[in-house]
Amino acid sequence: MSLRPYLTAFGLQWKIGLRYRIAVVAGLVAQMWFGAVTLMAYASVYHAAPDVQAPLSLRQAMTYTWIQQSLFTLLPLGCLPAIGDAARTGAIVYDLLRPVDMWNWWLSASLARLLGNAVPRAVLLACVAGPLAMLVGLGAWSLAPPASLISAILALVSITLGALLSATIVMGWNILTARTLSPLGSYAVGTPLAVLLSGMLLPLPLYPDWIRPFLLVQPFAGITDIPIRIYLGTPIPGGVATGLGLQIFWLAALTLLGRLWMRQTVNRLEVQGA
Amino acid sequence: MQTPLSTSDAITVRDLRKTYRIREGGSWRGKTRDIVALDGISFSVPKGQIAGFIGPNGAGKSTAIKILSGILRPSSGEVQVNGLVPWTNRVAHVARIGVVFGQRTQLWWDLSVGEGLALLRDIYGVEPERFARNRARLADALDLGGIMDQSVRQLSLGQRMRAEIAASLIHDPDILILDEPTIGLDAPSKLAVRAFVHELCQDRGTTVLLTTHDMHDIEALAERVIVIGHGRILADSPFEDLRTTTLSERILELDFHDTPPELTLPAGASETAREPHSITITFDPRQIPAPALVAHVGHLPGLDDLRISRPSIDEIITRFYADHAA
Repeated sequence: MSLRPYLTAFGLQWKIGLRYRIAVVAGLVAQMWFGAVTLMAYASVYHAAPDVQAPLSLRQAMTYTWIQQSLFTLLPLGCLPAIGDAARTGAIVYDLLRPVDMWNWWLSASLARLLGNAVPRAVLLACVAGPLAMLVGLGAWSLAPPASLISAILALVSITLGALLSATIVMGWNILTARTLSPLGSYAVGTPLAVLLSGMLLPLPLYPDWIRPFLLVQPFAGITDIPIRIYLGTPIPGGVATGLGLQIFWLAALTLLGRLWMRQTVNRLEVQGA
Repeated sequence: MQTPLSTSDAITVRDLRKTYRIREGGSWRGKTRDIVALDGISFSVPKGQIAGFIGPNGAGKSTAIKILSGILRPSSGEVQVNGLVPWTNRVAHVARIGVVFGQRTQLWWDLSVGEGLALLRDIYGVEPERFARNRARLADALDLGGIMDQSVRQLSLGQRMRAEIAASLIHDPDILILDEPTIGLDAPSKLAVRAFVHELCQDRGTTVLLTTHDMHDIEALAERVIVIGHGRILADSPFEDLRTTTLSERILELDFHDTPPELTLPAGASETAREPHSITITFDPRQIPAPALVAHVGHLPGLDDLRISRPSIDEIITRFYADHAA
């Protein structure tokens, strides 16, 4: 089986993601703003209760926030826009008419779209919140460097798994879109779930003790939370291996379930009219 | 499978049935109702033929087209296209067919026509030399030279449809399925599309299955027309046969420079309209041949002009649907 169609799908969505340069700048400003507000909130909370032994130090909470903000567009917020459009117009029939494995075809496109959106923003925001913030004397508020070289390497592996996991969850939204012939449901379900469960709203390590084990083992933790913990060098129950293991487990499990759901969907997909 | 289906035909369909189960009221617990879209249709199309596939809205055409394209699974029946069962060998099957749905676009809005074709080259794995050859040939035949670098969203409907047809043929499919390829097109664009499809079939031996509501497409292109209604095949014959069996009558129009006289007409002819200066006569040429009728009325006083015409293809089809309550 040739890889070429999948690389083509990847290349196309990557280019489309990069095409919206103004969206990158606008997104960057929004994320800087939300990041700064969140940081100030943390600062006042931490200073108000200096004796409490928090799971993350203030500096770690700030770094966690910066990385989350920079990776916002890596989250599975809804379906791939191209599939949403195709479902609405009925052009989705043409996707079924291509001699490709539908799962891999949509997955490569979804992954490319996530990366095309997230990579430029992440690099820019990391530069601004990291070195630039330090240079202008905001070092205490800046993005801290990784805990160690090993942490940096493992975090890179982990975020790669996280991106794949996110694209796999997007596949779920894509299939939902193909079934309902509308992208709206995927956004209605996807955005709150992803924002809440990924740790975007509040870092998962800062939730109450009793709910933390659940939050760690649910699939959305594998997108950004586990990579950030590895980057920060904060302990993960069971160690880094558990973190990576959870990511791989969810990747495999969701791929298996997703492929079954997709096969069932393709068999019953009835595109209206023609 | 019982006896193997013939392999000399490009498309073979035997006793194809499809029932949709729809939920009424849209609620979770709503009752379901079965709708029979195809109620056992059989036909075959030999290689290199252009077959017209027509029927009123809701007759089951789209369902049949989707099954033949491999994107819908029938409830029962046998289908072979190029010797493959479309829904079980989806990937191998779709690699060898080209499909144009006139109301949808397969090109990418954000890309130029040329970029879109290059993308399809990668998807279908067309070798570079073959791609260059096909691209040049299609650009020439479909007059795409000026729009190769334009993005698809900027194209007019006629330009877009020509680009869509090129997109469906870039991988040299053996079978081309055209679903309303001339919908919304102006007259020159329709003629261009028809001429291209005709040449494609003649020069390359491509088998074409054409569905349309534009009967002029059928008249211009199809050697054979399959009429479907209520999920069944109502007729499967050359178009001329359909004309003879459905609406063989002719129309004779007589113009007078004064009030037309009273007529006594031979059997098989009857007066169907009378105006201050003209009379319309409908006649069956099997009962009264046109020359005999003309001889009969030719001596009428005050006759200026006369014209004989056949019912239009639209009238024939309308009558056919009415006769079959389709």
